[in-house]
Amino acid sequence: MVCLKQVPATTSEKRYTADLRLDRAASEAVINPLDEYAIEQALRLQESGAVESVGYLSMGPDQAAEALRRALAMGGDDATLVTDPGLGGADAWATARVLAAALDRIAPDIALMGMASDDARGSLVPGAVAALRGVPLLSYGSELRVDGSVARVRRLTADGFDIVEAPMPVVASVTDQVGEPRYASLKGIMAAKRKPMETWSLGDLGLSPDDLHGAALTRVVEVRKPEAKPPTERVENVSADEAVTRIADWLAARKLA
Amino acid sequence: MGREIAFLAEFVGGSPTHAALELAAGAADLATQSGGSAVALAYGPGAKAAGSLGAAGASRVVLLGDDPSPAITHAAAAAAAAGELEPLAVLAPATPNGRDLAAALVGLLGLPAFGPVRAVRIEEGRVRTEQATLQGTVITVSEPTETAPATSVVLVLPSTFTPREGGSGSAAVAEAPKAEAGPLGKAKIVESHPAEAAVANLEEAHVIVAGGRGVGSADGFAILQELATALGGAVGASRAAADAGWVPYQLQIGQTGKVVKPALYVGCGISGAIQHRVGMQTAENVLAINKDPDAPIGEFADLFVVGDLFTILPKLTAEIRRRKGL
Repeated sequence: MVCLKQVPATTSEKRYTADLRLDRAASEAVINPLDEYAIEQALRLQESGAVESVGYLSMGPDQAAEALRRALAMGGDDATLVTDPGLGGADAWATARVLAAALDRIAPDIALMGMASDDARGSLVPGAVAALRGVPLLSYGSELRVDGSVARVRRLTADGFDIVEAPMPVVASVTDQVGEPRYASLKGIMAAKRKPMETWSLGDLGLSPDDLHGAALTRVVEVRKPEAKPPTERVENVSADEAVTRIADWLAARKLA
Repeated sequence: MGREIAFLAEFVGGSPTHAALELAAGAADLATQSGGSAVALAYGPGAKAAGSLGAAGASRVVLLGDDPSPAITHAAAAAAAAGELEPLAVLAPATPNGRDLAAALVGLLGLPAFGPVRAVRIEEGRVRTEQATLQGTVITVSEPTETAPATSVVLVLPSTFTPREGGSGSAAVAEAPKAEAGPLGKAKIVESHPAEAAVANLEEAHVIVAGGRGVGSADGFAILQELATALGGAVGASRAAADAGWVPYQLQIGQTGKVVKPALYVGCGISGAIQHRVGMQTAENVLAINKDPDAPIGEFADLFVVGDLFTILPKLTAEIRRRKGL
């Protein structure tokens, strides 16, 4: 089961609502690019026969169904969207709580996620979901493999890599080294329209807004633009020797060389 | 009553990581604001000797475990220690291991989580954090809600705090409260493949000379290494250069690599795509050298030199050596 998030495209205009939440309706939305690597990894495991089926799970507004449909166009079998008015502004803890409840119902051997999301970048959801579900975590895999009843990831270390293993079921996250995500074919896009998609509310998961502390334990109290940097100093159309003198002087003025 | 500030302190090969020393200094500063003390939650090979963190700012140490198993396997001990201490905050480094343990605390204890942050302070007994979101286009200031538990988990970016120098003293080390390792303890390392050559730790580098697609080959990185050596720094890379196999992935800077904050970042043949930018945009000084006058890095570098890096870098290295009298 690949968990994916719909995020604003990096190129699109972003706005905040009056209560300091990201206005998701105002931005062009895409599958979080790092989640596409998780999709790719899952589909490769399915193609090699290592896993039987691939499903997708997302939590978000109604429009997040589009992201699930796009994932289904890449491959896989079915999708589930958890959507509820009570989930607006969900933080890492609330997101993990809801995903964990949904995964408890689905009970996949592997819940697979991207290593980070483009918009929040905490990378906390995989570990928090594993803790909430009471299953092992295999994180930051540059490759995920399944061997009988165990899953393994290749994971970068300070100066090399380790192979880390745990008995399934597990929560796993993968990096952008697993292989470039495929494009959806026209045939895939057509096929995706017929693949089953379920929609669950908080009530379907046996959760109430109170269980989620109003969907967040954190709140944003201020949003501002970063301080403007001084304009870039450009050196162009000069000889290499002149450029080198300018750089060396610039470094010296900043006591960097 | 004062409240403790806890921090995760990872040990590798008998020594604390640079991140642990940074967080020790940060926790000590925050503890003066909260009226408590800085408590290290130490794990990894060598953590038994974590009393040495006393010189770095820790008042005491809780030992989670000193075996070389994955960081996440210390989650139950970390949760037991945090449950007993009830610190105002647990600071965690925004590294893969730090994030895993922080996430486990969020899940096991139901705690509010922040970050990765570039500033944190205590105001009226509450944690307040500053985070760059949406690829650095906005800064958000956050705090726990009224109904949130009393401990906040805060992911901290590298170089947010500066390690103390010349400190002395030793902190008392106590074992973490007994806890079953539980399901998160089941991940185990079954193979370890260290690199043949030493790999620089970019998070500690004062100067980084980074190369991208424009460097063209693994051999091309030699002139970057020479400049880095002349400047007393290390070599880094964009994802394109790491994907091409020119440098190890440990040197990749960006969204899926390291986040760095050196005094000087030199980008050579790097276009400056947003995924790279989020890994280096807080560098104090950014110099970019690129053939393409329209490269995006030219829009946010402090000094942008349009030119051929293969001509400029060797001359620059020679000029820096000459000025240093080498």
